Amino acid sequence: MKYLNKNIEELHTLLKNKDIKPIDLVNEAFENIENNKELNAYITLNKEEAIKQAKELENKEVDNILFGLPIAIKDNIVTKDLKTTCASHILENFIPIYDATVVEKIKAKNMIIIGKTNMDEFAMGSSSRTSYFGAPHNPWDHNKISGGSSGGSATTIAARDLLFALGTDTGGSIRQPASYTGIVGMKPTYGRVSRYGLVAFASSLDQIGPMTKNVYENALLLNVICGHDDHDLTSSKKEVEDFTRLIGKDIKGMKIAVPNFFVSDIVNREIIDKLKDTIELLKKLGATVDYIDMKYIDNAVTLYQIIAMGEASSNLARFDGIRYGYSTENPKDIEELYFKTRREGFGKEVKRRIMVGSYLLSGKNAQDYYFKALSIRDDMKQEFTKVFENYDYIIGPTTTTTAYNLTDPMDDPRKSFLDDVLVIPVNMAGLPGLNIPIGFDKENMPIGMQIIANNFEEAKIYQLASILEKELNLNLEPKRGENNE
Amino acid sequence: MSNYIPTIGVEVHVELKTKTKIFSNSKNGYGQMANSLTNVIDLGYPGTLPTLNEEVVNLAIKAATVLNCKIRKQMHFDRKNYFYPDNPKNYQITQFQTPIGYDGYVEIELNNQKKKIYIEEMHIEEDTCKSTHRGTKTLLDFNRAGVPLIEIVTKPCMSSKKEAVLYLEKLKELLFYSDISDCKMEEGSMRADANVSIRKNESDPFGTKVEIKNIGSISNVGLSIEKEIKRQEKLYNNNETFKEQTRRFDDKLEDTVLMRVKETGNDYRYFPEPDIPFVVITDEMIEEVKKTIPMLPDERREKYKELGVSDINTNKLVQNRSLSDYFNQLLDKNTNHKIASNLLLGDISQYLNKTEKEIFDTTLTIPRFLELISLMEDNTLTSKNLKEIIDIVLESNKTIKEIMKDENIENITDDNAIREVIKQIISNNQESVEDYKNGHDRAIKYLMGQVMKETKGKANPKMAMDILIEELQ
Amino acid sequence: MEDKLTKEEVLHVAKLARIDITEEEIEKYQVELKQLLNEVEKINEVKGYDDEILIAPWSDNTTLRSDSEGEMLDPKKVIENAPKHSGNYIEVPVVIGESEGA
Repeated sequence: MKYLNKNIEELHTLLKNKDIKPIDLVNEAFENIENNKELNAYITLNKEEAIKQAKELENKEVDNILFGLPIAIKDNIVTKDLKTTCASHILENFIPIYDATVVEKIKAKNMIIIGKTNMDEFAMGSSSRTSYFGAPHNPWDHNKISGGSSGGSATTIAARDLLFALGTDTGGSIRQPASYTGIVGMKPTYGRVSRYGLVAFASSLDQIGPMTKNVYENALLLNVICGHDDHDLTSSKKEVEDFTRLIGKDIKGMKIAVPNFFVSDIVNREIIDKLKDTIELLKKLGATVDYIDMKYIDNAVTLYQIIAMGEASSNLARFDGIRYGYSTENPKDIEELYFKTRREGFGKEVKRRIMVGSYLLSGKNAQDYYFKALSIRDDMKQEFTKVFENYDYIIGPTTTTTAYNLTDPMDDPRKSFLDDVLVIPVNMAGLPGLNIPIGFDKENMPIGMQIIANNFEEAKIYQLASILEKELNLNLEPKRGENNE
Repeated sequence: MSNYIPTIGVEVHVELKTKTKIFSNSKNGYGQMANSLTNVIDLGYPGTLPTLNEEVVNLAIKAATVLNCKIRKQMHFDRKNYFYPDNPKNYQITQFQTPIGYDGYVEIELNNQKKKIYIEEMHIEEDTCKSTHRGTKTLLDFNRAGVPLIEIVTKPCMSSKKEAVLYLEKLKELLFYSDISDCKMEEGSMRADANVSIRKNESDPFGTKVEIKNIGSISNVGLSIEKEIKRQEKLYNNNETFKEQTRRFDDKLEDTVLMRVKETGNDYRYFPEPDIPFVVITDEMIEEVKKTIPMLPDERREKYKELGVSDINTNKLVQNRSLSDYFNQLLDKNTNHKIASNLLLGDISQYLNKTEKEIFDTTLTIPRFLELISLMEDNTLTSKNLKEIIDIVLESNKTIKEIMKDENIENITDDNAIREVIKQIISNNQESVEDYKNGHDRAIKYLMGQVMKETKGKANPKMAMDILIEELQ
Repeated sequence: MEDKLTKEEVLHVAKLARIDITEEEIEKYQVELKQLLNEVEKINEVKGYDDEILIAPWSDNTTLRSDSEGEMLDPKKVIENAPKHSGNYIEVPVVIGESEGA
């Protein structure tokens, strides 16, 4: 009997009535992962501990809807006593001595951590191919990428290994792989979810978010992980709310904006067509849709290159082979310790980004570019605020193409950013954004739509997403083995 | 030999007296077991984030206030990026663009003239960890990592070592008095660097700047500036030029030694710290902090002098903060402040030194002290007597009179009783009376001796002397 | 305009980043960093924005932490993850010279 492709409410009832035990779900999750081993979704499995925890839960009251359910955690979120590698050689054997705030929250709900998911090294990439442990494969077509950087989390959810996964999103790293794999992925408002324990890539952009197969489960997981945290000065004091509360509510009279940039010729025709079908549906459901011009959003990728790389070069300076992590053998002096540890410990893309970030902050470049970028970023955020004075939502495609081949070249450094051109503006402005699947291309690869709302309006995003989910009623379960000869 | 004008600027780092570190809640402590005062934040573990200690902001506001700085109402922090083993994140969180305080000054007095030493800026930052070199390895102790610091930077506005020394003494006094730092240079809680250049005329551009780092005491700051000026003069006089450089003061050589020549300039890649968004300092916060600033040394000195305390005593009192705080409780009391200061700096200080106590640890409450002063003032209690009972005075709660009684110190202050004794002595020692009248000074001392002998030393000496002179007329 | 950085410029960046790079990589970065610079030049064409900077997309004021002590690590934990240690100390090859910082 398979349980983990059931909906959460069914599972909860089964657990509550003791028809099944948490251990059944844990065993099934590990079985699924084993069967899908070739997808390479995981870096580390937490088998022993998960089984132990599941057994302990048998004597506990099923006190919340997520009780006893397996969850996968992206491997850049630290877990005490459980290896956290960031998909990097430099942390290959790193065992954290504390839990991230989100992990504490998950444990408090008695969810069971199954393992740590594969990703781009230090979340730097958009196809998870920069992972030291090799890329995950797309469950819809094993020859294709799952996207990135949260590729492993997207893969395990799309493959229906389990119901819940956490991803992180700095420049689209939740929404883009969600789009490529046909799942729901939410990047919450900057500050909604504590970053304490998330290994920083770009501090002013990073945000942890839920990745699930449907909207409702996504909102439930956000309920658990959000809330103010004294350990994170950028964590919002905004009250915790029930993000499921608007799910299913009709969208009549809602005003939706589509920035012309989002449907410009940078986007694949098939995707635009699918988006336009969806727009027609939204209109039919009583929403109004306007195409608008927005200042600055076409600069977002440039700002991203300056700000994200700058912050990253500084955030990754701590990996020096002294206090933790990989350290080169027998350095002759301290400089050799630094230079060799970092040469040997970091992968190519990470080193490239550290070089770029260091360069753009060095000498007078900081004044010429970095501070200008911070100023433009401020105005870009205001531009979004202005749009939300008149509109409830901004929508657009999540990606410019569907998932491409794992063997496509990856040496064009700008390609990675162009993959994320539609998702990056949301991080720049700190807004919430969600990917919802809206159909398939002619190769049967999922197409996603991005829903953006004003700060802290995640519940409203779930509202629109849930209506689309219901109306479109897509079959989002990839057939195991199909397209995989 | 031509004369040069030195230009001197001073940078001071002081550790703030807080319970916990600046960006984490581990203990801010000194002299404890290596790596026993740390947590994952101090060690720069992946995923950790800073929080900002309220007390650090308060103490920085306090420092800005006592240094007459303007206070920035909205500030942020910046990352200073450089690799060094004592720098756990390989960036230091500091304030580069928006230092909390700016445009301040400290007033010094030089040759009876007041001079303002201008402060360019003061900012908050974190301390590094401590490294110890052992042969081929360096050992790291992260207890100091994240200890809060403020750095105070003067304008290049001093022109002699004397000014620099006076500035540092004044600065130390101000920060110590306002409980911002304990300012122990020997423990590194106050560290000074000096920038020195010389030029021929005021109208010339500044000469090449030399930075002297981490000097261990204020007097060595003076000495290193003096030596550095001489060294530069010699070079210029020999028509030699030199590059901008960093030197350190070598205690044994008593001279500065080259550490490194500045290369193309450091490339610290400063950028705003995204983990700590803007910090807003409200007028209310500033007002609250101002309430906690005690009376500062200059005001104390002024008040003490007004009350007739000698210059020497005034300075000594101000140098000892707890005595000065104690003395301040007498400011509005109707008492003899001169005697009070003598007592505090004399017998009481001796006792405190001997027992390694602070004045506030003794039983000498203000009412008891006032009693003591008044008994001393009217000579009911003599200095000699006090020496005998000082320990009891400072250790028991009895009134001074009770103590005197217990210890059988009862000076005869009864006018008539003393007069009786004196009359008797005069009639028994006519020879000495004659000598006195003939101008032999020794005679009166002899007669006084007889008085004291007769009264077993209990006669109030001043009173006895007055009566004796009266009776001899 | 020269279409690549000098070798020295690239080495300066590699030194800031403390990453050992090969001759081949130097050549690659000479071109790549320059291309990137040309690309980010584009922000100089952006007009109409004000001087206000955005440090983090964040609106609340920073909350300060009260000055009370929390839990600390056992020194044994501190050295547990360190590649090299000596007693309670974390060890590195001898460092000559002084810190550039504080």
